[in-house]
Amino acid sequence: MLESNMVAIFGTLGYRPKSLIPTIRSTPDVDKVVFYCGADKKDAEAVAKVADAKKAVLDYCRTMKLAVDAVELDDPFDFKSIAIKIRTDIKRHKREGKEIAVFNIAGGTRPTSSAALLTCILEGVPTVYVHDVTYEEIRLPLLRMEYNQVLSKEEREILKILLKNRSKEMTEVELARLIGKHKATVNHHLRNLIAKGAVRLENHKKDSRKKIVRVEESTELLLGDDE
Amino acid sequence: MKVLASTFGEGDHNKVLDAMRRLPYERLVLIGERGLADSSSFRRIRDFEGLSGHDVDVEAVETDDFMELVNEISAVLQKHARNPSTGERNALVLNISGGSKLLGDAALIAAFRLGIEACHCDHQMTKLPVIRGATALDRFTPAQIRFISLLGGDFIQLDDIVVQFGAPSKQAVERVMRDLRKLDLLKTEVRNGRVSVALSRAGEEVSRALGKNCSS
Repeated sequence: MLESNMVAIFGTLGYRPKSLIPTIRSTPDVDKVVFYCGADKKDAEAVAKVADAKKAVLDYCRTMKLAVDAVELDDPFDFKSIAIKIRTDIKRHKREGKEIAVFNIAGGTRPTSSAALLTCILEGVPTVYVHDVTYEEIRLPLLRMEYNQVLSKEEREILKILLKNRSKEMTEVELARLIGKHKATVNHHLRNLIAKGAVRLENHKKDSRKKIVRVEESTELLLGDDE
Repeated sequence: MKVLASTFGEGDHNKVLDAMRRLPYERLVLIGERGLADSSSFRRIRDFEGLSGHDVDVEAVETDDFMELVNEISAVLQKHARNPSTGERNALVLNISGGSKLLGDAALIAAFRLGIEACHCDHQMTKLPVIRGATALDRFTPAQIRFISLLGGDFIQLDDIVVQFGAPSKQAVERVMRDLRKLDLLKTEVRNGRVSVALSRAGEEVSRALGKNCSS
């Protein structure tokens, strides 16, 4: 178990340990390495190559006396599951007061790398890429996606309630009742949320006059487990 | 007009077909490396689109330098975000699942930079949490944007910035500077007892996102 104030680096790993190890070398005072890997289980060659790369990184970390978590992804092509998994891990590290010095997104499958990048944008984690040929580290100047700045307090409240009740078919009137606000007020906020692409309206199956309010699945990725 | 843009590379026709099936569109734009139009995957998509009497727009980008690639994709997206004949805003959606890892990741950054609706289509579709229309401009106050616009990668003396800024007091400008430093957007140094300021790399990225070319 890590102590507080310890420094961790995160990374994605594919076939090439050289895409991750430069970041371990170039980051000062690293105590722990967390990396995500996985291969198509039907592809024996890919499975073997990823296993070799994983072993190389584990050996390197042990030789350097670094704590290491090798996280095996069930499906390295499932973008959404990977994004949620990585974000949960990062939030846990942050809650425990650990510093995430950098996230190397160079290795792994395309969905793994993109999911890691998305998480870095949402969580404001410094991100690096390692050049395919030169193995030079490229620091990505990302802007953190601060949803607090682009969604009002009322809009966030509505989204959280919709996420909690996503299995229910909720109309505008029911939503207004749940929030304890006037229907016209909720309607105003919903229009803004629709314009921002965070929710959509669907026709009610039994009553064509009613609309069901649906939260877009991307909102789950946007808000994370803050609800 | 509804525009579907997608990153694309050899062997990615199924990913684009997934996106075409799930997302309504009137024009298809494929973004990929130079030579994309010669690939067999592209020909399959082009022939398929031909059945509806439509062409496919091809946007070739250079894929060596990551941040340059982000800039190129941003320019492509801005170009297709408006209808050139009417000037009206297009409903543009970007799929980032095609092409190389570098291309997909650069497209993801461009989507967040510009507030372009984006998704990842590969067997299943995952919408990305981009707030439509929310760009870098929304994250900063007008004073912070003005401060950033006065800077480049080279150091400028704070006193000169105060003059150019036209603020009522030096303290007001210093407050803006402190806020931007907290966001790691500025670097400062003291030369001959005077404070000089320049944009950090992250600051340069913000400056680019705000539509200003950096000097460095």
